[in-house]
Amino acid sequence: MLTIHDLHVSIAGKPILQGIDLAVKSGEIHAIMGPNGSGKSTLAQVLAGRWGYEVTRGEARFLDQDLLAMAPEERARAGLFLAFQYPMEIPGVANVQLLRTALNGLRRTRGQEELDAFDFLEYVKDKLALLEMDDALLYRAVNEGFSGGEKKRNEILQMAVLQPRLALLDETDSGLDIDALRVVAHGVNALKDADQAIVLVTHYQRLLDHILPDFVHVLAGGRIVCSGGRDLALELEEKGYGWLADEEDRAELHP
Amino acid sequence: MITDTLYTEALARIPGPGWLADGRRLALGRFLARGLPNTRDEDWRYTSLEPLERQDLRLPDAGADTVLAIEDYPGALMAFADNRLIWQDTRLPDRMLGALEDAEAPVRHSLGTLTQDSALAQLNLALWREGVCLRVPAVYRPRLPIFLRFAAVQDGVMLHPRVLVVMEPHADAILVEHFCADGGVPHWQNAVAEIFLKPGARLTHIRLIEGGEGATHTHLVGVRQERDSQYRGLTLGLGGRLARQDIQAMLAEEGAEARLDGLFVADGRRHLDHHLRIDHAASHTTSRATWRGMAGGRGRGIFDGRVLVRHGTLGADARQDSRNLLLSPHAEIDAKPQLEIYSDEVRCGHGATVGSLDEAALFYLASRGIDPATARGMLLLGFANQVMGLADDAGLRDWLQPRLEAALPKQGEVWT
Repeated sequence: MLTIHDLHVSIAGKPILQGIDLAVKSGEIHAIMGPNGSGKSTLAQVLAGRWGYEVTRGEARFLDQDLLAMAPEERARAGLFLAFQYPMEIPGVANVQLLRTALNGLRRTRGQEELDAFDFLEYVKDKLALLEMDDALLYRAVNEGFSGGEKKRNEILQMAVLQPRLALLDETDSGLDIDALRVVAHGVNALKDADQAIVLVTHYQRLLDHILPDFVHVLAGGRIVCSGGRDLALELEEKGYGWLADEEDRAELHP
Repeated sequence: MITDTLYTEALARIPGPGWLADGRRLALGRFLARGLPNTRDEDWRYTSLEPLERQDLRLPDAGADTVLAIEDYPGALMAFADNRLIWQDTRLPDRMLGALEDAEAPVRHSLGTLTQDSALAQLNLALWREGVCLRVPAVYRPRLPIFLRFAAVQDGVMLHPRVLVVMEPHADAILVEHFCADGGVPHWQNAVAEIFLKPGARLTHIRLIEGGEGATHTHLVGVRQERDSQYRGLTLGLGGRLARQDIQAMLAEEGAEARLDGLFVADGRRHLDHHLRIDHAASHTTSRATWRGMAGGRGRGIFDGRVLVRHGTLGADARQDSRNLLLSPHAEIDAKPQLEIYSDEVRCGHGATVGSLDEAALFYLASRGIDPATARGMLLLGFANQVMGLADDAGLRDWLQPRLEAALPKQGEVWT
């Protein structure tokens, strides 16, 4: 579904990602872990099409399309979704308006009929329930005055409405207390089906207690320095990221 | 070219009634002594009316019979085309909503008392033809919003609409003034509204300024508020070539509250200047000014808000908030909130920002599959929505929304 090959990315001339290789297939859950500043969030943002990043080498293909050549809205319509680490507040735009505009944009692309306000409310009702969100949040301005937990739930609500093929969850666990974490994880698990894939970007392993990854990758210094199964996450939890510095030094010496 | 003779001749052509004639002559004298404001006046430093003096303006011809089609208004309508009354809803009694010439004696004496300092208001007082008097009886609350529509139809007309509002104690009403024009005809509407709020009265006052490329609009609203009264104003500057809005609110007695909301869209070559003067002359008075502005193309927008808290008052509470979006490298916005405080015990604050459309918000919407034009439109509308609360309260959102959407800067002109 997603294949990344030798991806190099710079911001303002400064290299951030230095040769990422990653393959994600339908139905898989991948976790990308790593210390702060390792490039995890950059990877998520670049895949979603954030402006201001310069791809200097490599490629990324999503459902047999050249992902990097697509505009952000085209990527979303092709089935890519990014749950933001810091969701934007948009004063004056009602949550329900964003959700319905986004969904109808998608439905037009797929040749489906648009949903009117009434049908949309029917459509969104059980998704709100799944995330234990109050209906009132639909009519509030997008993320404005939402608590940290409400913002993250709102991201997953958007995911539930848009039903992407590939969801990138960027630090979705940060800022969540344990109850909110459970709700969000439950939501993600309930939404997941065999056609979908998930890439979790996270610093801590605690989210992985709730959403079980098939693969864990460790990102450091702009490269994936090791990959493994779920055990790797537990090992990281135990050892921290300190040992990576040594690995990186070795990589610098013997590239 | 506008000359003094033009004004004097215009005055000579205005028929009765007698009770107004002396006042008109005096007002014209005061106007002629001062002339049109120019950029040498501190209050007019951003806006020149000189282009007006070069135009060939005149009072409308009496016999013209073109009537601009009247769209539907969700309320009781009084409509003027140039200076002729062309429609009056019969659902409200004449004694409540009627021609200003016919105003009863106690109300007559209020005319002109709130707006003496302005030369343009003096000119209006001398030459007004389309006058409206709204007097809402004590405790009465009209079910329907009241709409006043002032349209310029003939090429090159100079119009001076005048509105006098008296809200008796605990009366509560919604008044909408709509200024528009037939296409892009060059014209000048110089409007004045004087509003008296008796104790406990409330007025929701929405002003919609449209009008095409040729429209010059000057407008002074003077408000005098007695004890516990509420003035809630929403000014929507969505059209015209040049518009200057002045609002002067006098919080004369304790408990008076003024809420002044506004939105302007300075697109194309439009020049929109807004001046608020809020006078906290009594203790425990409250004011809130919340303005949103956007400028595209070569548009120019100005927000100049001044709050005065007088010596000897206690517990004044005043806030001013002006936020603005620049949508083109050639557009310009000046935001100037000011506080003049002569009392120690106050709660006052102001904030002003001028920025561009938020790139991060655009990306956020794009990442949800929303195309750039729609995303920009959503953000602009969302920005405007921050000051549309009174439209919702008044039940007029559906009427205003399409006009608002049509006025937002078009995508090709948007620059982020």
